Amino acid sequence: MRTPLLRFRLPVRLKPIALIPFFGFVGLFLVWPAISLFRLAIQPTKNSNISAMREAITGQYLQSFIYTIKLSLLTAILGVLLGSLLAASVLRIERPKWFRNFMTSFTGVAANLGGIPLAFAFIAALGTQGLITKMIDYFGISLSDAGFRISNFAGITIVYLYFQIPLMFLIMVPAFDGLRTSWSEAAASLGAAPLQYWRYVGLPLLTPALLGGFLLLFSNAFSAYATAYALSSGGARLVPVQIRFFLQGNTITGKDNLGYALAAWMIIIMLITMTGYLLVRRRAEKWQQ
Amino acid sequence: MSSVLVAGSLLSACGSDSSTSDSETTVDTATIESTLDTLSSDSTDVAADCPTEETVTAAKTEAKVNLIALPDNWANYKGILQAFRDKYPEIENPVANPDGSSADELTAVKTLAGQDDMPDNLDVSPAIAQQVADENLWEPYKPCLWDEIPETLKDPNGNWVAAYYGIMAIGANTKVVPEAPTSFADLKDPKYKGQVSLNGDPREAGAAFAAVMAASLANGGSFDDILPGIKYFAELKKSGNLTGTDVTEATVLSGETPIWIDWTYNYPGLAPKLVENGIEAAINVPTDGVYGGYYAQGVVKASPHQNAAKLWIDHIISDEGALGYIEGGAVPARYDALVKSGKVTEEMKKNLPAPELIASIAFPTQDQIAKAKEVLAAEWGKLVANG
Amino acid sequence: MKFFGKIWPRLFIAVAIVFFVAPLLSMARFAFQRIPVISLGKDNLLKRWTIDGLLTTLRDPEFTHSLSVSLKIAFFTVVVLLVLMVPTTLWVHLAAPRWRGVVETVTILPYVVPPIALVVGVSGTYRSIAPWFLASNYSLVPFYAILAMPFTFRSLDVGIKALDLRTLVDAAKSLGAPSLRVMWNVLLPNLRTSLINAAFLTVTVVLGEFTIASLLLKRTLPMYMAQAQGREPQGALGLGLLILVLTTILFTLVSIIRKRDATSISSKNINGGMVP
Repeated sequence: MRTPLLRFRLPVRLKPIALIPFFGFVGLFLVWPAISLFRLAIQPTKNSNISAMREAITGQYLQSFIYTIKLSLLTAILGVLLGSLLAASVLRIERPKWFRNFMTSFTGVAANLGGIPLAFAFIAALGTQGLITKMIDYFGISLSDAGFRISNFAGITIVYLYFQIPLMFLIMVPAFDGLRTSWSEAAASLGAAPLQYWRYVGLPLLTPALLGGFLLLFSNAFSAYATAYALSSGGARLVPVQIRFFLQGNTITGKDNLGYALAAWMIIIMLITMTGYLLVRRRAEKWQQ
Repeated sequence: MSSVLVAGSLLSACGSDSSTSDSETTVDTATIESTLDTLSSDSTDVAADCPTEETVTAAKTEAKVNLIALPDNWANYKGILQAFRDKYPEIENPVANPDGSSADELTAVKTLAGQDDMPDNLDVSPAIAQQVADENLWEPYKPCLWDEIPETLKDPNGNWVAAYYGIMAIGANTKVVPEAPTSFADLKDPKYKGQVSLNGDPREAGAAFAAVMAASLANGGSFDDILPGIKYFAELKKSGNLTGTDVTEATVLSGETPIWIDWTYNYPGLAPKLVENGIEAAINVPTDGVYGGYYAQGVVKASPHQNAAKLWIDHIISDEGALGYIEGGAVPARYDALVKSGKVTEEMKKNLPAPELIASIAFPTQDQIAKAKEVLAAEWGKLVANG
Repeated sequence: MKFFGKIWPRLFIAVAIVFFVAPLLSMARFAFQRIPVISLGKDNLLKRWTIDGLLTTLRDPEFTHSLSVSLKIAFFTVVVLLVLMVPTTLWVHLAAPRWRGVVETVTILPYVVPPIALVVGVSGTYRSIAPWFLASNYSLVPFYAILAMPFTFRSLDVGIKALDLRTLVDAAKSLGAPSLRVMWNVLLPNLRTSLINAAFLTVTVVLGEFTIASLLLKRTLPMYMAQAQGREPQGALGLGLLILVLTTILFTLVSIIRKRDATSISSKNINGGMVP
């Protein structure tokens, strides 16, 4: 349908040659290191005779994976919801004119804020000696009596949302923008209620962005390393941090392959997630037409 | 003789410049400076042949020694580095990656092999020191005062020495915790709920690993049996006393981690900052579990500045180095020799744990450590982290 | 939906702003006031505020060093990424539309490999084959480019879709412009917003990335912040805050100025054409 515009003197078959630098770059710096991981991960660690890959998915490591996946799922879902709502809300604000620019810039920075500064910011706010904790204390509510700890599941979730929500915001703003007001007006003029507009026009158009956002948020939370480390030292249950024990620690030696295996499993889980995403998106696109 | 006295007063002149920038420890530094004065008159006898003139000249030509993972506040490395610069102004001693772990140091050696910034010396945990030896990356070197180092604190093949060691202690922010705990049994008290923290995860951080060993000793375990220690912390976690927040200077300062279990030599560096914020800390060696730990230093094979590296080892073993460690709250390897020659004043002893405690310290062997790590790797996750 | 009336969006935004600002304010209080929270009361709320910690950190030579390293790496990452992605994306739209799906899928591959896994694989392989590569600070550039690739591609993709590429290129070519000039003088200026967004996000990624720099032992800004936390906790956190505030303000200004001189070509509501 769309015929190529630039007619170089290359036969159609060879047009993809120009994509070689791109594929080469990704291959060299992403695919190859990832594949070598697997090669290292298949071997057993020093004192065991099962492959590290198998050991990495048993017992305490399995529990860590489950915990990490739960955390990633929850923060992804909450992030998608809250981030989309935030995007929709901000787009409604017409004045002051610089507000939208400011929000876009701030969320761009907040989305990449992580690790120690973020973890400490929350410790300073909601930790046992946090400013907000103390303020809430004045009203008689004690966070720590209620069992809240910044290093608990609930605490880590809240901290993760600090960069998950901005990330979703950045994805949804252009998506919402793309929903031209002319369409909602047209739908209204044809007698559709707002709910019907959303069901038949709005949501289907937003679905690719929503799905993409979910994938991104899940992957983001799943891979989070520095933040996790600062918040869960004495009892790290998150897989990225555990990889560090074997490859960068002071005590455990000789179990490198287990670290590689944990990383390899992380890739497998992400591959599964991404395949799921691609399949769902394919169906959604078909449905759109 | 007169040239030595001049040298001695020059040394003290240099020293007093640095002491004004560190107001909290003026007294200690002045004491040390006067001791160094007497030292320099004694050391001419040794200085002649150790380290050799050739080594010193060669080192000065090299003009640099690449150090790694030596934080300023860890056993007063700030002071020790400065003392080295004072003694050999021609030799630079930059420290790469001050907060790196022992494994990071080994990684750096391998990654930077053949490069100009390859580390010349390492300061690593015993476990990693063994790994370095296994991978044949140590350059064996016996410093001048080798014979004065106790057997337990050096490698028989000369691969490394343990220039300092410390004891596991319980630190407390007395603003948040007016009654500082003094034993592992104390820490189980419900009034310390949410306040006890480890310096990292024992599966990864040497200090946390040592804390678990110490707890084990306090609960019927031994160097061969770390399980009671693991169970102790499992209990602490269940009761809610153990927090999950990583202990850093920032969290200590903010009071988020009001009780921390860490080496005695990690505290003195932080004291000035705490005082600035109106906080006082109490450091107590637990009465029920005394565990000492050392770190190993040595010269890296095929590193770019071999002679300067050897000079560094000599420096940290020497009296200047040893006194520097004492200032930081660490026990130097040649502590007994120093005490015998009267170089340790009462003032200095205040930085260290009580002499009886120092005398009672024993170190686990490499095999015991290796076995303990296996148990830890298998059980900590199950019982404490995921429990 | 009722939500999208007048009140609810504003309320929601207000709550969101509180959520985002409260931790920052708490961090600022810690960084600049030398009183622990437990001793804080109504009487000493305004006492002992000082920026000494921050000043000490700013004067630290290691800070200036790591800042310059990070900025250089950011610059090269942006260059490498744009040089790689702009021609590729343009090509995909113009000459090889059937490959668009493949390219898009490949650009989300970076999400499949978590940075920790990537750097672990990288150090495992490159160390034995080309250790000199890992020794340089600039070895971070290609990996940061990979990390920033998904967003860059999307930003460029959206920008290109909003142009009427066909008309633009045909018009330029009919005026006799060779292909390279077409790209440089016609297409790129129209992609300014996308390019700036991509550059901005890449820079924030580089300035905030810790995992890869940490495992490859590089002296970047985030690494410095982690270390400085030990020596000068209040100063280091004050610095973090400062960088956050400055970056946000800087990019807000840039985007406001851009909006002012953007021509309507990049506006989505015009149906193509080069009408100014």
